[in-house]
Amino acid sequence: MTDELDRMLARRLGRRDFLRTTGVLGTAAWLAACSRADPGPGAGGNPTTRPAIEEEPGGLQVFDWSGYGNGDFYPKEERKFLWGDYKKATGDTPSFVLFENDDAAYTKAAAGSAEFDVVHPCGYKYRDWVDLEAVQPWDTSLIPNFSQLNPKLTQSGVVDGQQYFLPMDWGFIAPLINADHVEPQEESFGILFDDRYEGKISWVDTSNMMYIAGLYLGVADPFDMSDEELAEARDFLISKKGLVKFLWNQSFDFWLSFKKEEVWIGYAWPDTVGYADAAGMNYRYMEPKEGRVSWVCGLGMAADTQNYHHAHEYADSWASTKAAEFLLGYYYYGHTNTEADLSVVSPGVVEALGLDDPTVLDPPRSIPESYIPRRDVYQQYWSEVLAA
Amino acid sequence: MAEPDVTAARGWRRRERRLTVGLLSAPLLWLLIFFVVPVVYVAAYSVGAIELFPTDAGVVSLDDWRRFLTGGSVYMSLFWKSIRISLTVSVGVVLLSYPVGYFLALCVKKRKYVLLLLIIAPFLTSYLLRVLAWKVILGDQGVINSFLFWTNVRSPDDPITWLLYSQFTVMLVLAYIWIPFVALPIFVSLDNLDRSFLEAASDLGASRWRAFVRITLPLSLPGVFAAFLFVFIPTIGEFVTPLLVGGTSGYLYGNAITDLFTRGLDWQTGSVLALFLLLVIAAVMAIFGRFVQVRSVAG
Repeated sequence: MTDELDRMLARRLGRRDFLRTTGVLGTAAWLAACSRADPGPGAGGNPTTRPAIEEEPGGLQVFDWSGYGNGDFYPKEERKFLWGDYKKATGDTPSFVLFENDDAAYTKAAAGSAEFDVVHPCGYKYRDWVDLEAVQPWDTSLIPNFSQLNPKLTQSGVVDGQQYFLPMDWGFIAPLINADHVEPQEESFGILFDDRYEGKISWVDTSNMMYIAGLYLGVADPFDMSDEELAEARDFLISKKGLVKFLWNQSFDFWLSFKKEEVWIGYAWPDTVGYADAAGMNYRYMEPKEGRVSWVCGLGMAADTQNYHHAHEYADSWASTKAAEFLLGYYYYGHTNTEADLSVVSPGVVEALGLDDPTVLDPPRSIPESYIPRRDVYQQYWSEVLAA
Repeated sequence: MAEPDVTAARGWRRRERRLTVGLLSAPLLWLLIFFVVPVVYVAAYSVGAIELFPTDAGVVSLDDWRRFLTGGSVYMSLFWKSIRISLTVSVGVVLLSYPVGYFLALCVKKRKYVLLLLIIAPFLTSYLLRVLAWKVILGDQGVINSFLFWTNVRSPDDPITWLLYSQFTVMLVLAYIWIPFVALPIFVSLDNLDRSFLEAASDLGASRWRAFVRITLPLSLPGVFAAFLFVFIPTIGEFVTPLLVGGTSGYLYGNAITDLFTRGLDWQTGSVLALFLLLVIAAVMAIFGRFVQVRSVAG
């Protein structure tokens, strides 16, 4: 026991080391039951030696955002369009574990509190998931619909030369304004900090506001700012905080407030653009001079999945045109499937989001949301903004 | 004759001891597994003894504790902000609830428990719903502003905007949420009051006010302290209400802990904050424990 304690004090422990140590103290049996099984890379086995799909246990577990198949928003349609083909092919009904944002998903996976076969993070977190050894590469030959996906976008799911993620849905982060009340002096993220609209602005409640401020202030790399740049962005946000009516956590909360004209300007995703268009509002989704921030989210497969072939069937279902048209028509998000019928959304939304424009995701019109190596430091500065 | 009696007494004590150990072992085991071990875990995280993320490459150190305790981070000032809000809410709620408890316990003769149930009734509905209901009431186009527009007190272009998304909103909603918790112990302590003291005071010529100050209030203080604690302790770490109605100025210590464990990817600092809060609450309990007797507030 003394040896164990000495070892514990001498160095930092992994979760499993700590569990072993506490086990010596008499509670390991319980703790071990709660710990994450250490999958290790490629724990799913070699593709050639993997059991056939009929021999897999099934009961696919999907770790995803709310409304992406679990039926939170459109119960029938989500099931029919996102995994109807999967169910037809395998007879299996997937179950869903939800997360509220990318960082929370990653944290849950790292802490071992989320078991999953398929996970759906966004591009700026891909590197983290691979480094965590929580995912394994896909075999794209098992996904017939893969050939329909935009090769430029699928390339963004390649990490260390392997297709760890299958990019599916994409969209933007840009200011949305009520054109009846707001007259921007220029197309810029600066509208989120415009003194003329005190009390009519909404920001998002995440540390993303740090890189938005960085973009506006013209830092070299808003996703990897130095301490001085972060301090400048923090001070700037604190000085503008008084203009903000509220910080939104759910995009729909922002939409409700935007619709009631409680706010006229906001950090927005494409879904709000679609809602505003459907409601007949006089809106404008800006193309700021700094560039819209673009995001793309993709499916990853758990390194220790026992449902290797089921996971591929599920990804194939997600890569289909019907899944793409569902995301377009119901959530106003882009999809990497290039054969989706854009007529499922109104021409106004197609134009506002540039869905028919092949250059809409290219720099400088758009800046890909990138991996933030010092996410924790960004959060620290953002906390200071909130606490100020 | 004495020998069998002693043996029987010993046997009885042994059985009683076994029974006590048997009855206590389950809750103690529960406490060990679901409280003590997690706290040890959090303590280990707080000094960096457990590695969670691949980027967590460092050594065991007290740096995060030192930075927090010496005010090197924003979190200590956030803690004091939470204490200030929590104190304001707790004192306000106790002051509001005392007359209610007094009225129910000492003035109402019939159906006092029906009335008490009415006060507690909101507590039987969802916490989230009760908080969200305030958004409907306090919004720019909410019940209050709409009434002001209707009465021409305010123009629709000029609603009262600080009603929602402010520190005021956080305090108002917290007060509303916790009133049932406060009214109950105050009511119980006043209901248990020995009325003969009040009769004696009256017989000796004391005014009602003097009887209240000298008898009723001192005897109900354990209930008041308990009520205060029932609000003060949970609201220090509160994060849901500030998140929903706090806006940019309602961010509290509890929100910082949540963010550090989720979006912040910084479990070490989060653990420091969580453990510090636990220690503060333990200290508060220890200080107030001597004023609060469970029997006096439990009926």
